Amino acid sequence: MELTDAGLVARVLVDDDQHAYGELVRRHQSSVRGLLRQLTRGDIALADDLAQDAFVRAYKNIRTFRGEAKFSTWLYRIAYNCFREDARKRKELVGINEEQWQAEQDPQTVDPGLRHDLMHALSLLPLHERSAVLLCCQNGLSHDEASRVLDIPLGTVKTNVLRGREKLKKTLAAWAQ
Amino acid sequence: MNGETEQDWLDKKLQEAAPYIADDGFTARLLQQLPPPQARLQFLRPFILVAASALASALTYVLSDGGRFIIVEMFKVASIPTVWVVVFALASGMLVMAGGILAAMSKAGQIQS
Repeated sequence: MELTDAGLVARVLVDDDQHAYGELVRRHQSSVRGLLRQLTRGDIALADDLAQDAFVRAYKNIRTFRGEAKFSTWLYRIAYNCFREDARKRKELVGINEEQWQAEQDPQTVDPGLRHDLMHALSLLPLHERSAVLLCCQNGLSHDEASRVLDIPLGTVKTNVLRGREKLKKTLAAWAQ
Repeated sequence: MNGETEQDWLDKKLQEAAPYIADDGFTARLLQQLPPPQARLQFLRPFILVAASALASALTYVLSDGGRFIIVEMFKVASIPTVWVVVFALASGMLVMAGGILAAMSKAGQIQS
C-alpha cells in the first residue's frame, strides 16, 4: 500500500529517511515547479532553482510541519516565500517592476493557441491576483489554504481570485464562446 | 454561457495549461543537496531515561528522610475501605480510557481532513 504524505513525513522525522523525502519530492515536484514557473513568468531555470531551494528548506524545517494543513499547502507556502525573497533580492518586487513589465507587454500580441493566450493573460495579472488564481483555480487549493500560503487574509484571497478571474474571462472572452 | 459554467471552463483550462512536469533528475539532484542525516543518538534514549529516573528516585529518597513518607502514605492507603479503592481504580481507568478515545478521535479527524 502506498504511504500517505503524512506517513512519509513521519518516516523523515523519526528515521531521517531521505528516501521517504525523495518520494515526497517526486510526488510534489511537478506542482511546485509548475507554480514557480508561472510566478516567474516562464523562467524555467530560475523556477527550478527556487524549487530546489524550497525543497531543501522544507527538509531542513520539516520538524515545524505540524500536520494541521496538507503537506502540499505547507510546501507551496515555502515555495512562495522563496520566490518572494528572490524577487526582493533581485529588486523585482511587485509594485514598480510589475507595472513596468505590464507596460512593456503589447496587448495586441495574440498567441496562436488558447494555452498561449491563457498564459499570456495570466502573466499580465498583478502578482497578488496571479498567485491567488494559480493556487485556487489551477492547483485546487481552497481559499483558506491559499490564505495560509500567501499569508494574507481570507477576504483578500477571495477578492484577488474574483478580480483575477474576471480579468482572465474578459481577455479570453472570444475563446469561451 | 452562465457565470458558473464560465468559471468551470476557466478553471479547467487553467488546469490543462499546467501539464505534469517530468522529474528528469530533479529529485536526484535535490537529494544530493540535502544535509546528511544527523548522527543517530536514538540508542541512548532508554539509557538516559533510566538514568534520569534512578537519579530522581535517589534524590527523593535522600531528601525525604529515607523515604519515611512512603511508609506513612502506605499506612493511610491501607486504612481505606476496599470498596473505595475498587471504585477509585475503576473511575480512574474509565477517565483515562475516555481521554484516550477523545485523543484518538481528534487525531483521526485531523488525518482525514
